[in-house]
Amino acid sequence: MSVPASVASVFRGRVLATAGTCWLLVVGIAAVGAPLLAPFDPLEFDPFVRLSEPGWPHLLGTDHFGRDSLSRAIYGARMAILIGSGSVLIALVAGGLIGMLSAYFVRLGHFLMRVVDVLMAFPALLLALVLMTLLDRSVLNTIIVIGIVYATTTARILFGMTLKLKRDVFVDAAICSGAGHASILFRHILPNLVSPMLVQASFIFAFAQLQAAALDFLGLGLPPEVPSWGNMLSEERVYVTRAPWLLIFPGALIILSVFSMNLVGDALRDNIDPRFKDDIAGV
Amino acid sequence: MLVYALNRTLTLVPTLLAASFLVFMFIHLIPGDPASILLGDAATPEEVAELSRELGLDEPLWTQYALWLANVLQGDLGTSVFFREPVLSVIASGAETSILLATMTMLWIVLFGVPIGIVSAIRQGSWVDQATSGGAMLFASVPTFWLGLYLILIFSVGLGWFPSSGFPSLADEGGASNLRYLVLPSLTLAAPNAALIIRLIRASMLDVSREDHVRTARAKGLHPARVAIKHIFRNALIAVSAAFGFTFAALVSEAVVTETVFSLPGIGRLVVQSILRRDYPVIQGVILIIVVFYMVINLLVDLAYASLDPRVSLK
Amino acid sequence: MVLLDIRDLDLSIARGGELLPVVQGISFTVEENETLGIVGESGCGKSLTALAIMGLLEGSAVRIAGGSIHFQGRNLLALAPVERRRVMGERMAMIFQEPMTSLNPVYRIGDQIGEAILQHRRMSRKQVHERVLELLDLVRIPDPERLIDSFPHQMSGGQRQRVMIAMALACDPKLLIADEPTTALDVTVQKDVLELMHSLQTRTGMSIVLISHDLAVIAETCDKVAVMYRGRIVEHAATSALFSNMSHPYTLGLLGSIPAHDQDVEWLDAIPGRVPTLDELISGCAFHPRCFAAKDSCRTVDPVAAAVAPAHFVRCHFPQGNST
Ligand SMILES: Nc1ncnc2c1ncn2[C@@H]1O[C@H](COP(=O)(O)OP(=O)(O)OP(=O)(O)O)[C@@H](O)[C@H]1O
Ligand SMILES: [Mg+2]
Repeated sequence: MSVPASVASVFRGRVLATAGTCWLLVVGIAAVGAPLLAPFDPLEFDPFVRLSEPGWPHLLGTDHFGRDSLSRAIYGARMAILIGSGSVLIALVAGGLIGMLSAYFVRLGHFLMRVVDVLMAFPALLLALVLMTLLDRSVLNTIIVIGIVYATTTARILFGMTLKLKRDVFVDAAICSGAGHASILFRHILPNLVSPMLVQASFIFAFAQLQAAALDFLGLGLPPEVPSWGNMLSEERVYVTRAPWLLIFPGALIILSVFSMNLVGDALRDNIDPRFKDDIAGV
Repeated sequence: MLVYALNRTLTLVPTLLAASFLVFMFIHLIPGDPASILLGDAATPEEVAELSRELGLDEPLWTQYALWLANVLQGDLGTSVFFREPVLSVIASGAETSILLATMTMLWIVLFGVPIGIVSAIRQGSWVDQATSGGAMLFASVPTFWLGLYLILIFSVGLGWFPSSGFPSLADEGGASNLRYLVLPSLTLAAPNAALIIRLIRASMLDVSREDHVRTARAKGLHPARVAIKHIFRNALIAVSAAFGFTFAALVSEAVVTETVFSLPGIGRLVVQSILRRDYPVIQGVILIIVVFYMVINLLVDLAYASLDPRVSLK
Repeated sequence: MVLLDIRDLDLSIARGGELLPVVQGISFTVEENETLGIVGESGCGKSLTALAIMGLLEGSAVRIAGGSIHFQGRNLLALAPVERRRVMGERMAMIFQEPMTSLNPVYRIGDQIGEAILQHRRMSRKQVHERVLELLDLVRIPDPERLIDSFPHQMSGGQRQRVMIAMALACDPKLLIADEPTTALDVTVQKDVLELMHSLQTRTGMSIVLISHDLAVIAETCDKVAVMYRGRIVEHAATSALFSNMSHPYTLGLLGSIPAHDQDVEWLDAIPGRVPTLDELISGCAFHPRCFAAKDSCRTVDPVAAAVAPAHFVRCHFPQGNST
């Protein structure tokens, strides 16, 4: 199947997943074009328009520093994409390598998977909190921490999948033809894992948003001045009764994006190799 | 069964030791001298020197670990910098809230999650199924603190049905009626987890319903509802029971956010506040306790799993 | 007396918005205390026909597109679900192809057999227990007292199939549908199970529809035979008549390729080519691409069933038997 045809087959008959993809595209465009699209500077205080209602010129109102909510929301898209893709990258590369190598080299696997077991003895949010305690609040550290948390689950999943693939005849055939370990792992096994990894990536992307927002809320995530949806919520939460719109918009943005990503993950999962379907929990 | 349980417990020991070593290392990973970190900023140099000797800080790392572990096993988790109290009693004071909250949350999850999951599996593809599956995924996509804030806004501030924050102990004035303080927090915490359980029950029931033995059951002329509960759900429960356990085990730490939103005096909020107060002995103690709790629950899940599935041999 | 009367049964599979016919215009009758054999290659629609008779197609992608199924004079297809379930497991029971997976792994076999009794009979727990022991004894399970409390995974394939038979016989059905009851079993066990079914039939006077891959099995056990190819009955006759006068080239092919032991081996050695998939359209006779006797007319005209002898029907332009 050609690439456009297979993409089409994922979305055929799935109105919600298609709508979700469109929304994610909007978020992507907002992230890339933030400096052009944002009507105001997201960091600029304006003491004269504190907590103003949605209207002109502040379409989504202003927060208690008088910063323009719409502009912060647009720059927030940037953070959402950055945190999502960053943690997906770390989780897939680290977790993927650990899982694949562990399944492939049995001895190494014994050791590495025990390490993963130990890390998984820490509940996800707790692990993130502990790691954040050791690090300073910064965008990069938040990404690293969330990435590490999901690297453990990814390692487990890919460990199982690689084991299944390893038993396949085609690997035996490749070994017989004298292929090296690297070539077997990356030319014969990895290509089969790409689509399950894509599914896993979309779920991690979705979860990462929620984790990051939770960390922001607890005051342990991104530095407070960084315009992110989580920070918008946590900074303004005391004004929830006076200015409810300040929490509705960023909340809706998070929910929409996470929901969309979950829908996409779900749609993708239905199209992968049935052997791997049950391995990826998602939502 | 007993032998099996013992065996499973023994296999946990290495993981537990490794995890406790990580927890021990926590203090050493923080930049600075462990003794002064543990005592906080107000400590005098004499106190620091005293504690250094007690912890054996000039000894090799593994001796320090052995000393620490021996203390822990005797219930000595150190002293809170902030409260000037033993860490264990600080944690114990949050235990009631945390355990009640987790239990009540679990109650909602079972009460809502199980029937909805079953219905959406039985009516697969119908509008009921699509609505519940979509709704479940939507709920799993909502940040818990956001949900909590709006529940407060609607049900406490608006309707005045439930208190918005705090939790007096059941032993205090009010007795069992104090549980109403936990209604909104437990619903908040239950929402995303019930959503996961619904989707899991649905998926496992659909898997089981494709198995041959379900056709055998239907061939007996049983009522579809009986087939659904006795044959499909009962078998799906094997997989789902594990998820119930993991969920419960994770609730204590997941409650971090919820307890903060509702200002509940539980272990979750204790973690966050201790992190913000740099009360490292408490952080270390709480992590250790939560990890042990998490592993014990997972062990119990394993045993429950074995008793649900006769194919697992209990030797 | 006619127990089961099937007329022009059509089954279709809903796939991607369209209906693919899988079983077309099947008709046969089963008398009381009679055994009908249905034989044919894998995928020709035998199991689907059996499931349609039992009423187990509901919830699958397969639809009954036409025809009627009369059982004891009543049209099963017109019954309300409640009525239908009263027939299922009570007067009509089925044994499935896969004994290893057809029992619920989490319940004791005694309870699984008892469940069928409890469903249709008013009996106390104790009476049910007695009845289950009696059934286990009937299907020659050694030491029923002990095995009644065991789980399916603790039993061998042959034992499980006996349990399945016991379960099917729980309410003394008038009709037993056995869908390849021995295919998954060892050769020695196969014989025992078939003999068991035969002796039970003599005892209870029930009728059997026996589905099989194996023409030899059919020859030994059945009164009548229906040979199916690609969703159609291509030859239908009393067993003796069929074996003395095989008329359809496909039946001859089946006979030539009776596999010795391994039931899973393909038939294709004796019949060239492969079974066409459901969505392949074949003009004329569906068998012509693989038929040694095919002529031009076979490629264009679909033959209708015609009698080559009294009560011996063949769907072929050029029947091979000696009566032509
Ligand atoms: N539930 C189903 N959904 C879709 N297609 C089905 C279903 N069940 C069977 N089929 C298809 O219908 C055709 C006939 O199947 P059936 O099970 O009746 O064959 P069979 O003659 O019993 O073969 P076997 O000897 O292998 O048991 C096959 O091509 C099969 O792929
Ligand atoms: Mg079959």
